[in-house]
Amino acid sequence: MSRLQKIPVVEEKKGNPLARVFDDLVRFCRSRSLFILHYCTGCGAIELPPAMTSRFDMERLGIQPMVSPRQADILLITGYVSIKTLKRVILTYEQMGSPKYVVGICSCTVNGGMYWQSYATAKKLDEYMPVDLYIAGCMPRPEAVISGLQKLMDRINSGEADSWQDYYRNYDYYLGNQQKLFGEDWQTPTDIITEAKHYELMGEGTLGQHTRLLEQHQKPLEALEMRLGHNIKEPVE
Amino acid sequence: MSQQVAHWLDNLLKEIEGIEVRRKSSRRVRVDVPADALPALLELLQGRAGYIHLSAISCVDWIDDDEFELVYHVWSYESHSLVSAHIRIAREPGVYLSVYDLYQPAAFFERDIHEMYGIHFEGSPNMEKFILTEWDGPPPMRKEFDSEAYINEHLSWQEYNPEWLQELVAEGGGVIIPPEEQRFSQKKK
Ligand code: SF4
Repeated sequence: MSRLQKIPVVEEKKGNPLARVFDDLVRFCRSRSLFILHYCTGCGAIELPPAMTSRFDMERLGIQPMVSPRQADILLITGYVSIKTLKRVILTYEQMGSPKYVVGICSCTVNGGMYWQSYATAKKLDEYMPVDLYIAGCMPRPEAVISGLQKLMDRINSGEADSWQDYYRNYDYYLGNQQKLFGEDWQTPTDIITEAKHYELMGEGTLGQHTRLLEQHQKPLEALEMRLGHNIKEPVE
Repeated sequence: MSQQVAHWLDNLLKEIEGIEVRRKSSRRVRVDVPADALPALLELLQGRAGYIHLSAISCVDWIDDDEFELVYHVWSYESHSLVSAHIRIAREPGVYLSVYDLYQPAAFFERDIHEMYGIHFEGSPNMEKFILTEWDGPPPMRKEFDSEAYINEHLSWQEYNPEWLQELVAEGGGVIIPPEEQRFSQKKK
């Protein structure tokens, strides 16, 4: 009896079959209403206007540009990311609401492309944030961009595009790479660990030595001071 | 007319000692001066010859000669001509005078050169970081800075995996171009 008790019993989830239908429906709808964040790095961005406008017309796929990260689904990285830009990209990425997808356009996001030898550009984008899809080319033409985005839609529809969860599950790894580049006191306004708890996405790699380092250096955030320009002088009496 | 101006300019430049003037064309003059004569030259060009526009200051690192070369490009709207004044300064300590009091845009160029080559310009209004605000390595345009060693140390590398491409080609997209088709020299006759 006691030995029998040790046999692990896998509880099969007897979910409501309708629930899965609902999930499928949600994924279907999600993949057909995508907003691309209007933030472009590097030179590959020049292929986006033709992809968006009447010649190739991304909108027929339900993809549109969006100006604010909070309302966007896709972060397009359209080319080389300098280390200075990378900071901003990470800040932007963390502000986006989940689920979010990162698409690396251009060879430069894969391995630095023609800037492989430059001291100023980051080489592997997927060290700093999870990338769903790369569209290689220097630069990829709008056809390639569109076909890449279609592939992303398929992956969202089938539920494969879930790398945003990876950022929460392996936050320590991503944070470690960021710290290596930006210094130990690197900190962003978004509290990823709390978010991970909230989404119930705490994984084995969420916490680790790098997040401990972050806690040591973390300063509480302060509200930005409101002011109008630097040079406004006190009126002379 | 422009012939006249050119002639007049050549005569004017002879007023400075140790100067070497090479006329490249009717609208381009290269001038090599000793470093301490440069402010006088620029003052002369600006005050008496109408070269009021400083287009750029460029810098070259001649590491084998242990010198930096600074090139001041000044343009005249009257004679439509460019004078490039070349000077050499010692690499160590790499200090030179600012020409900010003559040409105010110089502040911008000098700050840039300071950041990229580490040359200090005395009297320049601002020598703080400019574009590389988040950079704390050595000035990256100096020849002794080894960019490749730097990235090997700080960044990791991944191969550009051609398997992806083959996948795409199988689907009817993408093109793998063999080098002999790309390079004309290797083309089969
Ligand atoms: S891959 Fe080519 S086009 Fe794209 S960012 Fe790099 S250099 Fe520019």
